[in-house]
Amino acid sequence: MFTEFFYILRKVGVPVSPTSFLRLQKALSKGLINSVDDFYTSARAILIKSERYFDLFDQVFAHHFKGVELTAPTGADLAEAAKALLDAWLKDPQAIADALGIDEDSLSKLTPEELIDYFLERLKEQTEAHHGGSKWIGTGGTSPVGHSGYHPGGMRVGGRSMNKSAVKVAMDRRYRDYSQEGLLTRQHMGEALKRLRNMVPTGPKDQVNIDETIYQTMKNAGEIEIIFDRRLKDRLKVILAIDNGGWSMDPYIDVVQSLFDYSRSQFKDLKTYFFHNTIYDYIWEDPPRRSKPFRVDELVRIDPETRFIIVGDASMAPYEIMATDGSIHIEERSGKPSVERLRLLADTFRHSAWLNPKSAVEWPYTRTINVVREIFPMFEISLDGLEKMVTHVMSRN
Amino acid sequence: MYGAEQVTRFTGGTHYVLDEELAKIVNITMALEMPLLLKGEPGTGKTMLAYAIAESLKMPLIVLNVKSSMKLIDALYQYDTLTRLNDSRFGDSNRDVSKIEDYIKMGKIGQAFVSDERTVLLIDEIDKADTDFQDDMLDVLDQMEFDILEIDKTMRAQQRPVIIITSNAKKDLSDPFLGRCNFHHIAFPDPDLMQEIVQVHFPDISQELLDAAVNAFYRLREFKEAEKKPATRELINWIRALNADPDFKVKELIKGDIPFLGVLFKKSPDYALAQRYVSRLR
Repeated sequence: MFTEFFYILRKVGVPVSPTSFLRLQKALSKGLINSVDDFYTSARAILIKSERYFDLFDQVFAHHFKGVELTAPTGADLAEAAKALLDAWLKDPQAIADALGIDEDSLSKLTPEELIDYFLERLKEQTEAHHGGSKWIGTGGTSPVGHSGYHPGGMRVGGRSMNKSAVKVAMDRRYRDYSQEGLLTRQHMGEALKRLRNMVPTGPKDQVNIDETIYQTMKNAGEIEIIFDRRLKDRLKVILAIDNGGWSMDPYIDVVQSLFDYSRSQFKDLKTYFFHNTIYDYIWEDPPRRSKPFRVDELVRIDPETRFIIVGDASMAPYEIMATDGSIHIEERSGKPSVERLRLLADTFRHSAWLNPKSAVEWPYTRTINVVREIFPMFEISLDGLEKMVTHVMSRN
Repeated sequence: MYGAEQVTRFTGGTHYVLDEELAKIVNITMALEMPLLLKGEPGTGKTMLAYAIAESLKMPLIVLNVKSSMKLIDALYQYDTLTRLNDSRFGDSNRDVSKIEDYIKMGKIGQAFVSDERTVLLIDEIDKADTDFQDDMLDVLDQMEFDILEIDKTMRAQQRPVIIITSNAKKDLSDPFLGRCNFHHIAFPDPDLMQEIVQVHFPDISQELLDAAVNAFYRLREFKEAEKKPATRELINWIRALNADPDFKVKELIKGDIPFLGVLFKKSPDYALAQRYVSRLR
C-alpha cells in the first residue's frame, strides 16, 4: 500500500529507506493506523528521520492525498468561504456579481446577510460539481471552495490547529523553517566542527590504567600498586587563513565572522592569519594586514600535522594568481606567482582545505576557483560542506 | 499481542501538556517496539516527555545522561576491578573474590534490561557522545541483548523497555542509527499551548498576567539575531521572578516595560539586544 507515495518521496529527494517503509506496512497491518491523520503522523515518524525533510514531506503528502480525500464542505467551511466572499465583494462588486451570475445592480440591493444566504445556496448546489477544489468564484485567487478540505475533526489537543485535517496541516508547511536552505548559525558550525579533534594525553595523571596496575601489582608480589595515566585532551593545531579584503568577500563577512568566533572559542591552539584574495610572500596576523606580517616561508617550520584551513572566495582576476608579481598591492613584489605559494602550503600541510563561502554551483564559472581547486580540496561553508571538510582534514592520509 | 498493549496507552502526564500528534507517535512507537528519537529546540519538553510517559504508564524511569567521554560499555555494565583488587588484598567484605559476577555493576541500559518490570529508558542528549557510541548502541538496542565479556554471559532484556532518545543537535545522527528509530521533531509551542503549559506550572496565575507575560515572551523571541532564544524554561523562571517581585505591576508589563531580562536572555550580546529593543518600546 502507498507504494506510489513512497516513490514520490524518494523522487523529490527525501531519503526514505525500504526498511522504514516495511515498518510502516507493519504498523498498517497491525491496525495501528486508522485514519489519514494517523497515517500522516505515523508515516512521518517512521519514514522521515530529520526535521529538514518535514517540509518536503508535508508538500508531498498534501500533493498526494489532497483531491483523493476531498469531501463535501462542512458548515464551518461554508461560513469561512462566505466571509471571504464578503471581503471580496466589498473590494470588487463587479467580479462577484459576474461570478454569482447576477448583475451588479441587483447585487448592490442585497444586504450582506442576504448576499451570504444567496451565496450559500448557490454554493450548496454547486459543490457536487466543483468539489475538485477548482476555482468556482474567480476573485483574486481566493477560491472559497478550495477552503473545504478533508475534515476528520479534532486532531490535536493543544494549540491553534484544533480542527485541521492532516492534509491541511501538511499544507500549512509548519516545518518550512527547518528545511535545508536555512542560515548557518554558530550552533550549526559547532556541530559540524565538533569532530575536529585530536586526542592526546595531557594534564594531570588521574585515570587508572588497569592493565598496568595489575601488572605492577603482580610484580610487587600482591602489594597493590595503582598506576595512573594522563587523561586524553584535545591538542589539535589549526591555522585559519581568512581572506578579509576586497568587496568580493563583503557579502560573506557574517558567515566568516561566526566561523572565526566559533573556532576561536573551540580550539585552544588556533592561529589566525589574514590575506587579500590570495597568498603571496606574507600573510598577516592583524586584520588590517599592516603591522604584523608573517612570512609564508616560515610556515614550513610549523608542525606539518597542523590543519591548515583557508577561507576565501578565491575569486579574483586570473593574473593575480597565475602571474609573477600578480598582487594588486604594489608593495608585494616577490617574483613568484601566488599559485606556487599555494602549492607550497598544500605540500607542507597534508591536512589542508579551502572553505569557500560561495555556493558550490557557482564555482565552475570562476576561473581562479578552478585553479585553486586543483591545489586545495575546496568545500562550501554550509552544514554539508563543513562536515565534508572536517572528514577530509581528519582523515589519516 | 497488540490487544494487550492497547491497555498501556499513553495519554499525558499531570505536569505535561501533550500534543496529540506526539501522543500518537509515542503510541505507535511503543507498539512497534522501536526507540523514539526526539529532536527540537531546548525547552520544548523532550526530556519531560519521558518523565510523563513513565508517570502515566506507571513504569519506572531510567535516565542515561550521555556525556561526551562516554563509552557504550559504561552504559551497559562496569566491572569493578579496583574493588576486587582491594578485596583480594584485604578481604574485609562479604563479596566472594573468586566470583567475578559480584563485581559487575549494571549501567543504565543494563538496569533497564535486567529489570523485571517494563521500564522507560531515557537516553538524554545522545548527540553529546561521539558517533562510535551511537553506532555501538544500535546493535544492543536492536537485539535487546549484550554480552558481559568477563563472565561470558549474555544479558537479554526481560521486558523490552520503552526507549526515548533525545538530541539537541541540528546535526543529523548517523544514518544506520536513524534507520532504527522513529523520529519526531518537537516544534516550539505556539502561544495558546504555551499558556496551557504555564497554567500547569502556575495553577493560580491571573489571566491578565498570563496574557501579558506570554505576549511579551513571544515578542522577545522574534529577534532573528538572538543567538539563544528564551525557551519554556526561561519563561517559567521569568514568571516566577515576576511573582516574587513585590513592586511588579502587570500594567507596566503590558505597557512594554519588561523587567528581569537577564532571566530570559543568558548571553550578553542577546541581553544587550533585548535591552535596546525594550528601551525603544518605552
